[in-house]
Amino acid sequence: MTIEPKTQLLTLPQALKMIADALNEPVDAVHPERTRESMVGWDSMGVLMLTAELDDRFGVELAADDSRKMQSVNDILEFLRAKKLMQD
Amino acid sequence: MSLSRIAGFRIAGISTTVPPTIAENADCAEQFGAVEVRKVMAMAGVRQRRVAAADVTSVDLCFEAAVALIDKLGWERDSITGLIFVTQSPDYFLPSSSCVLHQRLGLGSDCAAFDVGLGCSGYPYGMYLAATMLRAGGQQRILLLHGETPSKFIATEDHTTTLLFGDAGSATALESSAHAPESFFALHTDGTGAEQLIIRGGGFRDRTPTDPRHRHLEMDGAAIFNFTVKRVPALIEETLAFAGLAVRDIDSYVFHQSNRFIMLHIAKKCGLPEDRVPLILEHYGNSGGPSVPLTLTQSINQSRATRAAHGKADLPLRVMMLGYGVGLSWGSVLTEIDNDVLIIHTDYIGQQKVN
Repeated sequence: MTIEPKTQLLTLPQALKMIADALNEPVDAVHPERTRESMVGWDSMGVLMLTAELDDRFGVELAADDSRKMQSVNDILEFLRAKKLMQD
Repeated sequence: MSLSRIAGFRIAGISTTVPPTIAENADCAEQFGAVEVRKVMAMAGVRQRRVAAADVTSVDLCFEAAVALIDKLGWERDSITGLIFVTQSPDYFLPSSSCVLHQRLGLGSDCAAFDVGLGCSGYPYGMYLAATMLRAGGQQRILLLHGETPSKFIATEDHTTTLLFGDAGSATALESSAHAPESFFALHTDGTGAEQLIIRGGGFRDRTPTDPRHRHLEMDGAAIFNFTVKRVPALIEETLAFAGLAVRDIDSYVFHQSNRFIMLHIAKKCGLPEDRVPLILEHYGNSGGPSVPLTLTQSINQSRATRAAHGKADLPLRVMMLGYGVGLSWGSVLTEIDNDVLIIHTDYIGQQKVN
């Protein structure tokens, strides 16, 4: 019953698409410098979507404290790199 | 490990009562903004909620559920030897609301009655207590009452909780039965998450809170999501393994109705067939722990029809009930519901006492 995490590393475009989908933003508007406050979709619902996606695809937990500290798309990318989910 | 197998008891009936007032989430668009309301409705899956009037409490809802059940079962009041009331919305700090209910239901003095202060995990815990009492001897018939009015917990300006919660009461009749098969229980706690769902004020730590937010429910949604995703799949797996059963052996997985998105995420993660995970959030919202018996009364006919379609119409319904949330506390019961178990569902009418 346990789902095996998928181990293939995300490329930068793949990571940005995953973030855009979770936060319900157009993919071409999501880049590392985008700030949290500039994105309407980065609210409590968006956080849940991203958390669920990371659990579903990788079996990785995005802790509430970690998520609260994220202030830009780059912070999410850094999290993915730290968890070895994304290419450097 | 807190795993138990208990035989020798059966569920005789389950009754639920909801307030008649229906709150439509779509009507809240002016207050919270149409986009926000649509997002919550899409994610949580809640279109309507049943909301208790200001003077109606969980005791009132459970009272009517219990009266309907006792009368239909034809149980003599004096034959009820135990009353367990599970709630986090009692009438008073003291006396126990179970004593208030004991008086209103006209039960005899040879009856143990007590409250249990658990929330979303309350139904499996309550059933475990009832089963152990029946198994210990000296008890023959127990009423397990579980009611909540979460709509009274919330701050009206907080749209994420206002649009989510509804109210419900329930009564479950359990009795000794020498030939009843084993039921399986798994009970867990992680108090490190106590602040993730909390009403900080009003208790004896802070009787008269100066911060108005402390009078209402605070919910860390992201933390609760992580808790649920981490604990509930493991709970399902553990319960199945303890009972020596596989996913397909269970006719219905009756979840505490927390949030549709989270429930579907868990169901997918565990490989549960969609038609065995009933969802009632659309019409009742999240009513806390009583959402488990409420889901049973709303879905049992469909579950029985599904089982009949698989050629098992004559067998009892094998159900896994799952409670999880505030505490943090979570638990399961895997049991059988006979075909002759009485199932009742009513709208609250405002009965005050047994005549």
